[in-house]
Amino acid sequence: MRFSSENIARNVFFLCTIAGAVVISSILLFMIALGLPLFKESSFFSVWTGPWDPYQGLYGILPMIIGTLWIALPATVLALPLSLGTAFVITILGGSRLRKILGVLVRFMTGIPTVVYGFVGIFLLVPLIREGFGGAGMCVLAASIVLAILISPTMILFFSDSLTSVNPVDVRAAKALGADRVQRLLYVILPKAFGGMTSGFILAMGRALGDTLIALMLAGNAIRAPRGVLEPARTLTAHIALVKAADFNSLEFRSIFACGIALYLFTTTAVVAVRFMDYKRSVVQ
Amino acid sequence: MHAVAEKAVVVFSWAMTIVLCLCVSIFLGYLLIHGLPSLGRDLIFGAADPLRVLLGRARVFDGLFPAIMGTLFLVILSASLAVPVGVCSGIYLAEYAGAGMKKFSGLLFDILAGIPSIVIGLFGFSLAVFLHNHLDNRFGPCLLISSLSLAVLVLPYIVRSTQTSLEELPDGIRRTAIALGANKLQNIAYVLIPNALSGISSGIILAIGRCAEDTAVILLTGVVAVAGVPSSLLSQYEALPFYIYYISNQYTNPGELSGGYGACLILLGVCAFLFMSAYGVKKHLSHRTLYRA
Amino acid sequence: METKDKIIVKGVSFFYGRNRVLDNIHAIFSKHTITAITGPSGQGKSTLLGLFNRMWDDVPGARCTGEIRIRLGDRWVSPLKNDIPMPLLRRKVAMIFQEPNPLPMSIAGNMAFPLKLAGVRDKSIIEEKVQKALAQAFLWEEVKDRMEKSALDLSGGQKQRLCIARALVLEPEVLLCDEPTSSLDSKAAGIIEDFLVGLKTSCTLLVVSHYMDQMRRIADKVMALQEHGLSQI
Repeated sequence: MRFSSENIARNVFFLCTIAGAVVISSILLFMIALGLPLFKESSFFSVWTGPWDPYQGLYGILPMIIGTLWIALPATVLALPLSLGTAFVITILGGSRLRKILGVLVRFMTGIPTVVYGFVGIFLLVPLIREGFGGAGMCVLAASIVLAILISPTMILFFSDSLTSVNPVDVRAAKALGADRVQRLLYVILPKAFGGMTSGFILAMGRALGDTLIALMLAGNAIRAPRGVLEPARTLTAHIALVKAADFNSLEFRSIFACGIALYLFTTTAVVAVRFMDYKRSVVQ
Repeated sequence: MHAVAEKAVVVFSWAMTIVLCLCVSIFLGYLLIHGLPSLGRDLIFGAADPLRVLLGRARVFDGLFPAIMGTLFLVILSASLAVPVGVCSGIYLAEYAGAGMKKFSGLLFDILAGIPSIVIGLFGFSLAVFLHNHLDNRFGPCLLISSLSLAVLVLPYIVRSTQTSLEELPDGIRRTAIALGANKLQNIAYVLIPNALSGISSGIILAIGRCAEDTAVILLTGVVAVAGVPSSLLSQYEALPFYIYYISNQYTNPGELSGGYGACLILLGVCAFLFMSAYGVKKHLSHRTLYRA
Repeated sequence: METKDKIIVKGVSFFYGRNRVLDNIHAIFSKHTITAITGPSGQGKSTLLGLFNRMWDDVPGARCTGEIRIRLGDRWVSPLKNDIPMPLLRRKVAMIFQEPNPLPMSIAGNMAFPLKLAGVRDKSIIEEKVQKALAQAFLWEEVKDRMEKSALDLSGGQKQRLCIARALVLEPEVLLCDEPTSSLDSKAAGIIEDFLVGLKTSCTLLVVSHYMDQMRRIADKVMALQEHGLSQI
């Protein structure tokens, strides 16, 4: 009796795990199945690389891919120094009190809802950009800046984690040789923490690529590849959010599944890359 | 030469920290200045009598009450879907799965954690359409579909936090009950789970915070601007984050706009509270569970 | 046929992955005796103890060959052949660890825990057994007024005695002790030694120890685990 209850529990646990795995795979399958008509209609490659012109029957998502990169890359580039500097202060340069306060601040930032960032962005940042640089204000720049602040806490947490997990023996050795705090950071800790920090960077970039609300609210959503930071752009994610209203069987609607597949592949690549790097690091050590 | 570079690193780090703090203070200050005046009974209940509203005798037409209730329902429903499944698979992965299974499913859940929430929303939307066409045409984007999608969204948090907090338990605790004649299930139920509870519950709190905050998933799966308090699982509903999004590009007068600021403050307060208490419950919460769009 | 043998070990080898941790061990342990097991560290003393209650079951890559027979009640069981359910085996072949490991609950909760696992529900039986075991451990007088307080607030020696008493509520026939006093000061260790000697009437004890003087004080037989196997000294 007791043994059978143990077996039942084990099977329940197992089924739950399987259910999770099935959901993950079915997300991809769903999108492939529903996007299929689009791939049949236009050629496989033109979906990814072609222009968007519904009047000509062209449903390429290239402008959205370019728009995504235009917003996500500057955001990561902006967030990198911000996070690097703050992580240095949190782990090494700051006093113990300041470290604690900054730690709380960064954790607090992870709890700020994306939509609230977007809301403040619209009413605070967009008017500033409009007055400072002209144009509509809703542009790549506005989205990138807010996105940079949004992903910074993720990066900071990963960076400070890698920095503090460097073997203290190595750090002590450098200390005994007369290296001061900054020297220890630059010549001992940083090289050792580099792998872990790269993981954090990639994951933060994945987050920037996958964010919907910031771009949707701040980037202007024009379906045209932007040529500068002051131009509007539409990301893959925003495209999915916006096409929703259209007729379910139209090719225009089908294009959002291509966007979904592209996003799935982007983020999965990032996750697999990080895993691979972690694995390689563990082998080296 | 080196000395200059070292000085530069220090200056750079402090400058960046100050910039970040400035950004956050401006952000918060701006929100507080515009949002605080609007906070009050009217913001939530509008012109209706709060008591009558809470008893279900009156409807709120110009307040946040339906949106708050919608978000509350969403959170409760998705948590009750995701928590049992997530905790069970966490237990399986930590205590039963072999090395290969662990690696494989670890990768799967990492991938799920990385999928943008809009893609999960799209999945939910397709599911609703699929059910509508093949099962019953009463199905459509609704509260149930949204909760289901949100449950998928937060599943990896719960699985991961359960799994890691079980795996982190020291051998001493792990073998105590075994040596006293406990079978595996008894050991898990009486010893391992109680000792890992702080980690597991912080994962659950985080998941709840994510459910309350997410906009992209519900955007595609049934949230609307005006629906009143949801009456059934298959009805459309209002939600706080969507209200904020909606106001930001559809507001018609300053009153609505200041309601938007008020909603921002409420949502920010709830989410910040949930996230901070998740960190409080377990000090060294792995932030690996945090990254996602 | 009455026998004085309690445990018989025949040609037992233990592998951890490709490593051979124990090689062809032979031994016989008699009823109501204390056998001390010593030897250089890293020779697998703890592993050897773990064979008798199969503590290695959950360790991936662990494998054991040979034969172990334990006399439980009036029948012989062979743990390596799975002819007894593991929880049952571990209730009769109890184990004490180097670090005291009370669970984070009350003293009463800790003491009643193994009975709860075994499915004992009757409150008066539980109370009686708990009290008896605590008295054996010279602990009853010290804790009887604070049974509902956390077990984690006890001193190191008290914690270890609590853990031994906790194992005793199941009335085990074999008690495996893995360096039971090495985390304690000499006074606390002395109390535990007296306690263990007193247990000979009901149990057969196997004690891993590093302390020669301790072994002389309490053991009826001292065996050394070395590269060549287990031998009496």
